Amino acid sequence: MLLFKLAFRNIFRQRRRSLLTAMSLTGGYVLSVFSFSMSAGSYNNAIAFFTQDHTGHIQIHKEDYLQRPKIHKYIEAPEDLSAMLDANERIASHTLRVFSPSIAYSDTDNTPAQVIGVDLDRERTTSTLAAKVSEGSYINSEVDGEGYYSAMIGAGIANNLDIGLGDELILISQGADGSIANDIYMVGAIVGDRTSSDRSTVFLPLAAAQEFLSMYGAVHEVSILLNDDGRAREEAEALQNLLPDLSVDPWQVVEATFYQSMQTDKRGNAVFMGIIIFIVFVGVMNTVLMSVLERTREFGVLKAIGSRPAKLAAMITLETILLALISVLLGLLISIPLILWFTYSGFALPEPMDVGGVLMSHITGELSPFVFGAPLLLILGFAIIISIPAGVRAALNSPTEAMRSH
Amino acid sequence: MSVVISTTDVCRFFGDDDETLVKAVDHVSIEIERGEFTAIVGPSGSGKTTLLHLIGGLDNPTSGSVNLSGTNIAAMSGTALSDFRRDHIGFIFQAYNLIPVFSAEENIEYIMLLQGIDAAERKRRVTEILKQVGMEGLADRRPNKLSGGQQQRVAIARAMVSHPEIILADEPTANLDSRTGIALLDLMKELNERHNMTFVFSTHDEKIMKRASRLIHMQDGKIVLDEKK
Ligand SMILES: Nc1ncnc2c1ncn2[C@@H]1O[C@H](COP(=O)(O)OP(=O)(O)OP(=O)(O)O)[C@@H](O)[C@H]1O
Ligand SMILES: [Mg+2]
Repeated sequence: MLLFKLAFRNIFRQRRRSLLTAMSLTGGYVLSVFSFSMSAGSYNNAIAFFTQDHTGHIQIHKEDYLQRPKIHKYIEAPEDLSAMLDANERIASHTLRVFSPSIAYSDTDNTPAQVIGVDLDRERTTSTLAAKVSEGSYINSEVDGEGYYSAMIGAGIANNLDIGLGDELILISQGADGSIANDIYMVGAIVGDRTSSDRSTVFLPLAAAQEFLSMYGAVHEVSILLNDDGRAREEAEALQNLLPDLSVDPWQVVEATFYQSMQTDKRGNAVFMGIIIFIVFVGVMNTVLMSVLERTREFGVLKAIGSRPAKLAAMITLETILLALISVLLGLLISIPLILWFTYSGFALPEPMDVGGVLMSHITGELSPFVFGAPLLLILGFAIIISIPAGVRAALNSPTEAMRSH
Repeated sequence: MSVVISTTDVCRFFGDDDETLVKAVDHVSIEIERGEFTAIVGPSGSGKTTLLHLIGGLDNPTSGSVNLSGTNIAAMSGTALSDFRRDHIGFIFQAYNLIPVFSAEENIEYIMLLQGIDAAERKRRVTEILKQVGMEGLADRRPNKLSGGQQQRVAIARAMVSHPEIILADEPTANLDSRTGIALLDLMKELNERHNMTFVFSTHDEKIMKRASRLIHMQDGKIVLDEKK
């Protein structure tokens, strides 16, 4: 108890110096918390963006369709699989898709188009496709009076072919059986604008696309949304065990390029923060060492009257840790409201920022124990390391010097 | 009478080559008995401080031995020596050297805390000893709110409170005016007589020397005269 008092009073003895030290520690803490929050927050936003846009948390394919898509690598009769996914309470929803490159024609023009057949009802709850409809309305899977299915086309195709709602669209591709596929569709909706990633996509009802490509009930991809977005890897592994004949991959694998650039970026961030904190700590170490050197005589006296050398070193460590704790508590007081605001409100960027390939124009942070805890442990850990040289200096202090000082 | 401290041919040399060699303490053999009130006197640089440091286990001799209550402390170091000082020796310094962030009471309590004495006993002893040094009522003051004489009284209390076999004081009155110095020495003398406490102190002051029961004269690191009254 008396030792705590001693440490506390020694901190408050050099008010101005302790204040400066505490301020740099507090500043370092708040900066680290903010930076961790921003990095985690913007990546979480980017992840949320593309998982909801189209990727989902987990995808199922036949063989290596993900790496080398070929029309004949399809999942046959996915009804049982679908029923199994519906029954799994950790899965929020899933959707079925087929893909094929094709050429789209109007009366006057043609343009390359990516055909995606989607289960319209399931797609609604699994991806943001319905929300991306910019003209017309989300189609249904019925054929019209003339026997045509409806299609939703990317704004780029509408522009290139100079067609709009109610116009005819002809698609030509190759069927899964090698036959030439061609058919006529009615434009029922336009998706996104000319800059969106779906600008060259034609969305068809699943049945229409299967018929077009001679795929007869088969699909290329099952995309799954989980209730807990943090469990993609675990759930993918569990599903993979149930489905040995298919390939199940979490978004980290599906979006491998993004995931790797995110990991690299986070590491870079951590190194950068480490350097900033290191600079803060060199300064703090300096003051701690200085405060010990100034008290050479005092430590000599404490030693002369019988304080063990290890106890003196422990006293310095205690002092440094107390100061760090006070600073971090102060930092918490500042950063909690800051991060709350940052997470729930955030700020708009003057220029959109590229986060692993996703353009973000509004930045929000993340509120998690990690964001507050990691810098806290870092600072306390550093405080202990810092106090070592000062503690050793105090422990080795010669008591005869103290007796001699006149 | 029982011997508290004895040194046998104790030497402390500084410097390693012949030119810089200083024989601060040179083959000193003394015995100090329980209850003695001894002053070490001699010109500046004669080795008084160095001898006190050797006796107090603050410094290791170049050769010879220092025996305190049957233990040769010349061979001890580190934690063992720290603990030995804590339990057997009290120190009073010329510059008082109280812990500035502690009150008078806490300064006295600290050493008992190191000894692991429980809180109630610490409190009891602090109260008692503050009374003995005439400092009752000033227990809560920090050193910077006390006069030099008062600080040195607290220092005496701090040195005594662990019940050491011997109290060593290097020029305890040198920073005080002569009246305060003499009052302080009278206090030490009174404690010496009342509790049979052993004191060894160094001084330059004639008036202080007069109050000692034994005078050890040093010169060039050697004892040149040992007067017992
Ligand atoms: N650490 C040291 N290194 C080198 N020489 C030292 C050291 N400490 C003391 N000396 C020398 O040893 C001799 C004795 O010093 P000491 O301090 O013991 O004398 P003193 O009698 O206490 O003197 P004073 O009355 O001035 O306090 C002096 O010549 C001094 O210069
Ligand atoms: Mg001296």
